[in-house]
Amino acid sequence: MSDIKIAAELRTEFGKGAARRLRRADKVPAVLYGHGTDPVHLALPGHDTMMALKNPNALLTLDIAGGGNELALPKHVQRDPLKGFIEHVDLLLVRRGEKVTVDIPVVIDGEPISGSMVTQENTSIAIEADATRLPESVHVSVDGLDIGSQIHAGDLEMPRGTTLISDPELLVVNVSAMAMAPEPEEEEGAEAAEEQPAAAESEAEGESGSDES
Amino acid sequence: MLIPRKIKYRKQHSPKRRGISKGGTSLAFGEYGIQAIEGHYVTNRQIEAARIAITRHVRRGGKVWINIFPDRPLTKKPAETRMGSGKGSPEWWVANVKPGRVMFELSYPNEAIAKEALTRAIHKLPMKAKIVTRETGDL
Repeated sequence: MSDIKIAAELRTEFGKGAARRLRRADKVPAVLYGHGTDPVHLALPGHDTMMALKNPNALLTLDIAGGGNELALPKHVQRDPLKGFIEHVDLLLVRRGEKVTVDIPVVIDGEPISGSMVTQENTSIAIEADATRLPESVHVSVDGLDIGSQIHAGDLEMPRGTTLISDPELLVVNVSAMAMAPEPEEEEGAEAAEEQPAAAESEAEGESGSDES
Repeated sequence: MLIPRKIKYRKQHSPKRRGISKGGTSLAFGEYGIQAIEGHYVTNRQIEAARIAITRHVRRGGKVWINIFPDRPLTKKPAETRMGSGKGSPEWWVANVKPGRVMFELSYPNEAIAKEALTRAIHKLPMKAKIVTRETGDL
């Protein structure tokens, strides 16, 4: 994975008013911590940070104005739930050659046999790897898998230099028979049966309501 | 129809509508989902109508998750009743959905059919909503 250089500034004012002023200026408030050091509050350029964090495990080289260069991994990214822009980033300080534990996505390739359905039970697994050589994802092929096949975390082919941290028995991919949706008539019949007790309840409530008025 | 099995109090205050969703704002199970853009009360009938719209369009090989539950009763006084004489009787069960909440999730191999099924479900819901997708490589 290539390093991404980001120019960072030290923040001098804090709180939601200052953070909002930063965001209006197309910057992202961030905090950098790790290795027992005091947290450093930073302001990152908005667009560069957004592009860098397209990869959830991007290794960032922070060029801090008046603070030297630091390597960091994104630990937590807060996003606006509706618009998706980045509100705040927690960065974890790392050193070259250090082993870190991160979650990486599992990507499914290929097609199983017809009439089967592939369900991805877990979309990511935890691995330990060198901070400067983190893989972007783990690929798993479902080509020709039969109905009832399961792929666990322990069955995945791990990229070189990485160790699995998740439980090896963790279910990642499940291939099941394609279920047929119930016929509309059956569904409606079941719904009518469900509604009967509720209707009886509402009738009883209606009677008590009329007494009150 | 979704309804609580047991309740502590039959009549409650109406749930507050302000603010945005504090959790459940991203896909947790499926590859496609319906995210609320506005806040609204969603009744159990609307949830059921949306679920049926999805399952009838997908027919085969899909899996649907419903992430909201109508756990709040709303009351209504009968028509042509004078004010007073206490609170009305429970009429609806609603989920208090706030903007950003992913309400339904769907796993299906064909993207076009999955999106069409979710579009049909959005028509059954009372608020503006959008379809969200899990991109390859998303955590």
